[in-house]
Amino acid sequence: MAASSVPMIFSVSDFIAVANQTFEYAFPTVEVEGEVASFKVNQGKFVFFDLKDAGGSVGCFMTVWQLRVPIEDGMKVIVTATPKLTQWGKFSLTVRAIRPSGVGALKKSFEILVAKLAAEGLFAPERKRLLPRIPKHVAVISSTQAAGYADFIKILNDRWGGVRVDVAHVQVQGADAPDQMIRALTYFNQQEVLPEVIVIIRGGGSADDLSAFNDEPLARAIAASRVPTLVGVGHEVDESLADMVADLRAATPSNAAQLLVPDRNEIIRATHVKLGSLLPRLLQAIERQQSQVRQTLERSLLAIEHQYDRAEEQFTRYRTVLAQLDPHVVLKRGYAIVRGQQKVGETIHIETYKAILEAKVERYDEK
Amino acid sequence: MTKSNPTIQEKIIELDTIVAWFDSDDFTLEAALDKFKEAEALAAEIEHDLSVLKNDITVIKQKFDSEN
Repeated sequence: MAASSVPMIFSVSDFIAVANQTFEYAFPTVEVEGEVASFKVNQGKFVFFDLKDAGGSVGCFMTVWQLRVPIEDGMKVIVTATPKLTQWGKFSLTVRAIRPSGVGALKKSFEILVAKLAAEGLFAPERKRLLPRIPKHVAVISSTQAAGYADFIKILNDRWGGVRVDVAHVQVQGADAPDQMIRALTYFNQQEVLPEVIVIIRGGGSADDLSAFNDEPLARAIAASRVPTLVGVGHEVDESLADMVADLRAATPSNAAQLLVPDRNEIIRATHVKLGSLLPRLLQAIERQQSQVRQTLERSLLAIEHQYDRAEEQFTRYRTVLAQLDPHVVLKRGYAIVRGQQKVGETIHIETYKAILEAKVERYDEK
Repeated sequence: MTKSNPTIQEKIIELDTIVAWFDSDDFTLEAALDKFKEAEALAAEIEHDLSVLKNDITVIKQKFDSEN
């Protein structure tokens, strides 16, 4: 009889330990998709639920801190977990991460979170801070290998220069992405010299690809940032929690660059327009001055003419008076000038208009 | 110029101030030509400064894939 055919006898504890070792070896990490049932949180710390499909059900355990998205019964999810046999012989999955699966579950999870954060006022317009018009120091959180990052940098360089751009290379999709972005946010917020803006960007992708930006702790970290935030994720139609809590939302990474800095070509054009507007103003002022001088001259000429006319008129009047006083005119009117002593016996000379007469005074009577 | 090394933004503000002066009560024809020349020089400087500006982009060495 062969010794190997004798069944090995384990203690219960050993059997559980061996079973767990076997699980650990065979399935260090499994991803299981199913529908959530009997979801509950005990003592505010421990999360229990069943994951089921048409053919079976398995119990799951995780801590509240590992729960990054809202989960409720009926939601389809994918869990990342390790299988485990508990000391009471119950098989369960110890879950490290859970994410909604499928458009319906993602949408549901998103709606629950939006309602929760909105109730806390995290999207309130009055929380939004203004970004500096022309920042000199900017932090960027993105994957440097992503197309969205390349678009952002290209547009940024085309539009403006002189900006110090510190880039934190992080994953922008997958289970680790939210934590990496949170660490980068923390890093920039703890710098001695703070950047003026933190820009978080990622190009387009499927709803699942972009789900990292619907992570609750990430949304809270963005909302809590000391530095104003600008988030440009996906395409125009994509909306994420990160967008909603940011101080400014960009439709795309390229749009983020457009919102971040002005366009140097536009400024150059505007400068030309400003300068161009000065020349007509200068010419207008010169014309105005010329017109004033012309009007003053015209008024002066009119005044001179007026004075001349008055003087001429006066002269004419004086000349008329003088003409009336001319002795020849008087003589012509029939008067005569008498010269000599007006005494009886004296000879006098009488001048008329036509003759000078000599006469003797024969009689002199006082009037 | 208010500073020996004004920034582009300061130069733009300076240019705006000159443009506003042309519409203000302080305007005099005697000073206008000098102001116009000043504006021309500023505009040329702004265009030059904007054309040569480059961004300084650095990917920081800090890793974010795990808690440090």
